[in-house]
Amino acid sequence: MAPIWTLQLHPISFQPSIWVSKHQTHLNFMKLRPEFRFISSSSSSKQLNRKFVLGANSGSPSDPDEPAVKTQTITVAVKDQLSKWHGTINSFPPLVFVMNRYGGRNLAIGLCIAIALLVIAVRVYAARKLRYRTPGSVADLVRRGQLRSDRRGISRPLMYEDPFNNPMVKVGKSNSTVEMCGKVYRLAPVTLTEEEQAIHQKRRSRAYQWKRPTVFLKEGESVPADVDPDTIRWIPANHPFATTASDIDEDLAQNNVYQKHGVPFRIKAEHEAMQRKLEALQSEQKLNNLMIDPRNAKDFERPFKEHPRSREQVEQSSFNNQTSDSMPPTSDPAPISVESNSSSEETQKL
Amino acid sequence: MLSLHNPFPTTPKPSINLNNSTPPFSTTFKPHFPNTLKPPKPHKPHFTTKTQSLLQYNRKPQLAGETPRVVVITSGKGGVGKTTTTANVGLSLARLGFSVVAVDADVGLRNLDLLLGLENRVNYTLVEVLNGDCRLDQALVRDKRWSNFELLCISKPRSKLPIGFGGKALVWLVDALKSRQEGSPDFIIIDCPAGIDAGFITAITPANEAVLVTTPDITSLRDADRVTGLLECDGIRDIKMIVNRVRTDMIKGEDMMSVLDVQEMLGLSLLGVIPEDSEVIRSTNRGYPLVLNKPPTLAGLAFEQAAWRLVEQDSMKAVMMEEEPKKRGFFSFFGG
Repeated sequence: MAPIWTLQLHPISFQPSIWVSKHQTHLNFMKLRPEFRFISSSSSSKQLNRKFVLGANSGSPSDPDEPAVKTQTITVAVKDQLSKWHGTINSFPPLVFVMNRYGGRNLAIGLCIAIALLVIAVRVYAARKLRYRTPGSVADLVRRGQLRSDRRGISRPLMYEDPFNNPMVKVGKSNSTVEMCGKVYRLAPVTLTEEEQAIHQKRRSRAYQWKRPTVFLKEGESVPADVDPDTIRWIPANHPFATTASDIDEDLAQNNVYQKHGVPFRIKAEHEAMQRKLEALQSEQKLNNLMIDPRNAKDFERPFKEHPRSREQVEQSSFNNQTSDSMPPTSDPAPISVESNSSSEETQKL
Repeated sequence: MLSLHNPFPTTPKPSINLNNSTPPFSTTFKPHFPNTLKPPKPHKPHFTTKTQSLLQYNRKPQLAGETPRVVVITSGKGGVGKTTTTANVGLSLARLGFSVVAVDADVGLRNLDLLLGLENRVNYTLVEVLNGDCRLDQALVRDKRWSNFELLCISKPRSKLPIGFGGKALVWLVDALKSRQEGSPDFIIIDCPAGIDAGFITAITPANEAVLVTTPDITSLRDADRVTGLLECDGIRDIKMIVNRVRTDMIKGEDMMSVLDVQEMLGLSLLGVIPEDSEVIRSTNRGYPLVLNKPPTLAGLAFEQAAWRLVEQDSMKAVMMEEEPKKRGFFSFFGG
């Protein structure tokens, strides 16, 4: 029974469209046909139903089939409604006439709107073009990928983005929920009281008794006399980063930290030492050129000069000096010239 | 706490604490009751709401306490997120307009420069300053993104720090920064190494307050408790904690201790709760701290809030507990 019912209902529901279109053109009807075929399982059964409907209209009360009777009544009812509807449609003035009455004015208004839209679009496009063309601006740099827009911390005015009044953070109306980054969390009040905090502090003060170590000794060293043994920390000799040995004077280190201007201490000291040695060397050279011992001259070298490659460089520079004796050794540092002099002396001696 | 020093007593003071027991967006006019939690009822709700919303956005948090505030960020256990916290809180403070000097006191295993993406710019360290190889201002590495953020490393990975005056050196450093020409920094944040070894002692020496980073697991809680004890013995009383790597889904399933459980065990006031976020690893890899991410991530927002509370010496009054399914509106079916 059920398949028949569905088949019967489909043509009824689509009847109006067929009915209306029948008057206008037959093509619509033909177009709708495939839909029927799609909805119903078989076209033959539908045709049979239609026959039933027609049969019922012509009047055959002796028909024993129950569904046929039902379809008859439904079809009649629908057809009544449809005829009414058709009547109302016919009573309206045709749409074409309505359109024609105001046709000229509407066309003008439409045209105006279209032109206005076009002008706006062109203006926006031109403005955008102009904006893009301004070279050298920061926005231009960002667009070209020279500058990252999110890293322009210095050029951008500072924004105090309140993390509690952020669009990503929304507090619920009842104040018991908060929405962060699209997720809703329930809020629970903190229950820790001052008393509890004090109890915890007392517990810890009992459990951990500690003095910050102030004296650091290498294992094996003796404890100084006036030092609390609790404040001593023993540092093993092979500690990865800590050492007890310090070749830096404490006051000097403090001054170094406090220094605000000028040449740093070590750099200055090195420079001065070099200067002094150079001056001493030059005065000695002036006094007695031949008495300089090459072994003493080695003391003036900086430690990295003992590298074999630098030795080669020294030799090379001495060779250069020998070849171009007239040129003053301006670019070469002092030890090299000393070395070269001494080596030349050696050769002279030999 | 947050409204102890109110320079604009006549302006409507917004209650900034999201997790406060007072309604965060309530209209509060607090000229006469600066310390009360429950504000008096507003007289002109419409007017104040409007003003407050105007003021609250782009409001600079009020700095409480004496500057420079020397904050040591410590834990005890390694790998709980001390360096991440230092980088993110430090940069958040810089974004809020405070001048910050971050000191990487992790002598043996320094990483803060990597997290900040400044590893190529560290030429001098505090050891060189002590030796007289350079001046202090030459050793401070200024971040190009936020020019009021500076980094100072204590030593290069392979050099040994003469531990005898490591702590003293940091005290000198704080003094030197205090008296520098461009003005004292507002915050000196010291990233403490793990453990309670020589590096820890060095790091806590100049500090006035401490931020204890912990994760909700028993190993890190035990270490945190011990470290808190040592800090209290050393005279640092202002200790707040940040609970890091919190997973609300696991707390809901009772597989992880809740933040309130952690607080019950340690008895410390809460500065922040940082949820577990995969973006942390990504930002570490990039050398680009989480708080600079756009759009902000969950952990980044939490770090920002923690920084805000640090500035105002505030603590959390409520914690986020678990995820609730988002209520769908009537029109959500249609995409509304």
